[in-house]
Amino acid sequence: MATTTNYGWTTPDDTALVKDGAAAIRTLGTSVDTTTKNLNPSTTLGDIEYRSSTANTNTRVGIGTSGQALTVVAGVPSWAASPTSVLTTTGDTLYASAANTLTRRAIGSTGDVLTVAGGVPTWAAPASGSMTLLQSLSLSGASTTSSTFTPASYKSYYIVITDTYAAGNTAFQMRLNTDTGSNYYRSTMALNDTTFAGSRTSGGNLWLLATIGALSTNGEKTFGAITIDRINDTTEVFIQANVYTTLSSNADVRWNLSSGTYNNSAAISSITFLAATNNFSAGTAYIYGVN
Amino acid sequence: MKKPTIRIYTTADEFIDREMNAVEFAQYKIDNAEAQAEIDKEAIRATAKSALLEKLGITEDEAKLLLS
Repeated sequence: MATTTNYGWTTPDDTALVKDGAAAIRTLGTSVDTTTKNLNPSTTLGDIEYRSSTANTNTRVGIGTSGQALTVVAGVPSWAASPTSVLTTTGDTLYASAANTLTRRAIGSTGDVLTVAGGVPTWAAPASGSMTLLQSLSLSGASTTSSTFTPASYKSYYIVITDTYAAGNTAFQMRLNTDTGSNYYRSTMALNDTTFAGSRTSGGNLWLLATIGALSTNGEKTFGAITIDRINDTTEVFIQANVYTTLSSNADVRWNLSSGTYNNSAAISSITFLAATNNFSAGTAYIYGVN
Repeated sequence: MKKPTIRIYTTADEFIDREMNAVEFAQYKIDNAEAQAEIDKEAIRATAKSALLEKLGITEDEAKLLLS
């Protein structure tokens, strides 16, 4: 019996009987049908086919899900997760949960930092050592008081004073928790131009930071850094203030270093800056909470 | 008599400016007295220092030299 060159379909010989023609055509048709189906096994919208290990036989791969990409698994094509399919939500990031395995990490909460837990990246609240800007106070009037800090449980506060001056010379002071009790114990070392002077106040009702002046008087501007720490002691707060007044003439500058305690067991929940005899004209106090 | 104005932050970003009330003004006067007392103390000390230097007939720099 004769066969075709490529697929070996059986065809009638030249000497075959005419009466066997119908059966021969059926046999050939069946062979053509089988081969065609083997080469085109698709059944469903989106199917693709690849050459299988059997000659003249293709294998069907059903379409993947939205965003998947065509990859290779065990030497044959396969649909697999892609960055596009894994990232489903705004803020998602990708990481490998195993070799060659994409996994989605949903975004954390505001203020979270990326850290490692169980050997994979994860978002978490900063454990410690972070500084948070609580408020930027624009100093004005005879005093400027912060709003109540939330939470009032920071271990320490760090305050930066910038570009501060008043309508005229005045004492620049600080008060915690609007407490006017005799709870402030301060020692100050003041350098006025090149002359040192020391002072001490026990049981004052506020904290004297420095004497500040007017911008119009020799271009005075005051800067400073203040730390307020309650780390281990529950009854006293340790205060350090480093306040410097610069003048455009670079002469007669003033530098005040004060250190001491605020004796009160209450958590620090607000800070007031006061200008004793002349109102603040300008200035900013940046208050940071430190964990 | 108009009392001094104070600024109070109600939130991290909002504040009100208002005149001191009676209690605040009373405290303001106490605070000022304390600040003035400190300034006066410094002034008295500076005056006494000048008087001593004059009595000794030396300058401040010479006094520093003596003490160094």
